[in-house]
Amino acid sequence: MTWLVWRQHRIQLLIGAAILAVFAVLLLVTGLQMASQWHSALVACTATHSCGDQGGLFLGNRAVGFLVITTLGAPVLAGLFWGAPLVAAELETGTSQFAWMQSITRRRWLAIKAGWMLLAAAVWGGVISALVTWWSGPDNALHLDAFNPGRFDIMGLVPVAYALFAMALGIAAGTLLRRTLPALAITLAGFIAVRAVIALWLRPHYMSAVTVFYKVTAGYTPRGSYWQLAQGILGPDGRAISTDTVGPVIAGVPASYLPASCAPPNAGAGPIAPSCARALARFHGFVTYQPAGRYWTFQGIETGIFVALAAILLTVTAVALLRRDA
Amino acid sequence: MTPVIQTRGLAKRYRRVRALSDCTITVPEGRISALIGPNGAGKTTLLRLLAGLARPTAGQMAVLGGTPRQDPAFLAGIGYLAQEIPLYKRFTAEDHIGIGAHLNPRWDAASARDRLRSLNIPLDRAVGRLSGGQRAQVALTLTLAKRPRLLLLDEPVAALDPLARRNFLATLAAAVADGGLTVVLSSHLLADLERVADHLILLAASRVQLCGDIDALLAEHHVLVGPRKDTTAIEKTRTVVQAVRTARQTTLLVRGNAPVIDPDWESAEVGLEEMVLGYMGQDTPPPIAHLTTVGEDQ
Repeated sequence: MTWLVWRQHRIQLLIGAAILAVFAVLLLVTGLQMASQWHSALVACTATHSCGDQGGLFLGNRAVGFLVITTLGAPVLAGLFWGAPLVAAELETGTSQFAWMQSITRRRWLAIKAGWMLLAAAVWGGVISALVTWWSGPDNALHLDAFNPGRFDIMGLVPVAYALFAMALGIAAGTLLRRTLPALAITLAGFIAVRAVIALWLRPHYMSAVTVFYKVTAGYTPRGSYWQLAQGILGPDGRAISTDTVGPVIAGVPASYLPASCAPPNAGAGPIAPSCARALARFHGFVTYQPAGRYWTFQGIETGIFVALAAILLTVTAVALLRRDA
Repeated sequence: MTPVIQTRGLAKRYRRVRALSDCTITVPEGRISALIGPNGAGKTTLLRLLAGLARPTAGQMAVLGGTPRQDPAFLAGIGYLAQEIPLYKRFTAEDHIGIGAHLNPRWDAASARDRLRSLNIPLDRAVGRLSGGQRAQVALTLTLAKRPRLLLLDEPVAALDPLARRNFLATLAAAVADGGLTVVLSSHLLADLERVADHLILLAASRVQLCGDIDALLAEHHVLVGPRKDTTAIEKTRTVVQAVRTARQTTLLVRGNAPVIDPDWESAEVGLEEMVLGYMGQDTPPPIAHLTTVGEDQ
């Protein structure tokens, strides 16, 4: 059966492998360049004590950077090109009737077929994720954004789970709809919908977020690659104030909330006037965030969710295929 | 010996449509059974039920001594070829032989290659590029290579030209003669199968009309020809399958061997095709024209 799976899908798999190879070469070359740039920049800035300002680094790799961002869509490709046709194409052309009249049960046929393709999907997601994670190392160190939506989704463990989910979704859609084209559409729409719902509404709540209040004059930035969910300024009455103004802002507080002693040109020029300082002391900043230390916990939780969804979809597939007439 | 196929009250319903109703048949081992019926009579449904590809909505069946099920041993005993001749279009015949070798315990690759070579079918060409007849031969060859104990063939000769048809039926007859093989093959044309079949299952309107040994069935059917008159006396002792009444005479196809005492009726043997057409309820072209002549001579 393994032989049949290979014989049937080798072209698809080889195309996938070729894409991975090209991607790997591209990322290895530019990644090594970036690593050495980063290293020499660190050496240089340590010597001059100017390491706070490295914002201009890595601008030369925009194209590859864009390619890396597009790997957000890589997992669903496995579901579209490998998953959706896996059963649907056989049902469509009737070849399932040939396969099922050999001395192999439908359950085993599905298990081996789906098993190998799930493995292929995991490798696909895993290799891309490994490359992207490695490539983004200096970038993450510079921008501390590995936990942010969009970055979190293309690194670490989750791309593997997304690919497994996409594959399972494709197989399930193909089996239930019995036709490849509608299955492709459902796979694409379903993948985007589930990913969006989980990333936007579920992920922020995997663990209860931390909120820190701070004096606006002192300011506060959480450590490392934290994920900021909300931030703002609380007025003297404890309610959030609108910081969305066009006027001047002092320590994050719009000047319209403050006495005239705070207003420029006084502000910034020398010490803050005592009346202004007293006014500012009644304002508090807050930041709600997931601390950087929770990154791998979140990766694990999200991986678990998508692997569980994939398992449910595969169970549905198996039940549908075995219960229904061939 | 237990029959290879035995069903009782088998029924299959697809949503509102009855595909098969109250199907009770028996096929003993070593027979070639012709499954005959008009299009839509339920032939494919019955074959798919027997192969375990579909589940009955009612009734019982025993195939090769057990209920059709998802089990490698059961599947190894069944050779089923669907009407659509499902093959992997981009694979060659040799690829298919390879698949069979990987998936079946008793695979006879050598005889499959021999058969295809003798038919001049290229083993190394994608089957999608073979002619329809050649594809059918490849599929049949693969089905035989599995060395099943029960061969279920859905319209196997439909795609073959007359010579290939004869050739195929001869192969089949030889395989059955070697022993251990039972065949059910469907067609809507009796003429296709008359040459090799010794058993008949006749389906019409999703019901079994006849099932049994062809010679035995012919022996218990007769054509009665007589004047246009009341037939209740005959209907008491025999089943009237079909009655054709013209102004002058009545022609009856009857089942049952009770003697006809009324001297008005001429009894005659019935041919296989007449019998089958009678059950199908088709307009038999004056079924019995030649018999009338015989009657007048007397």
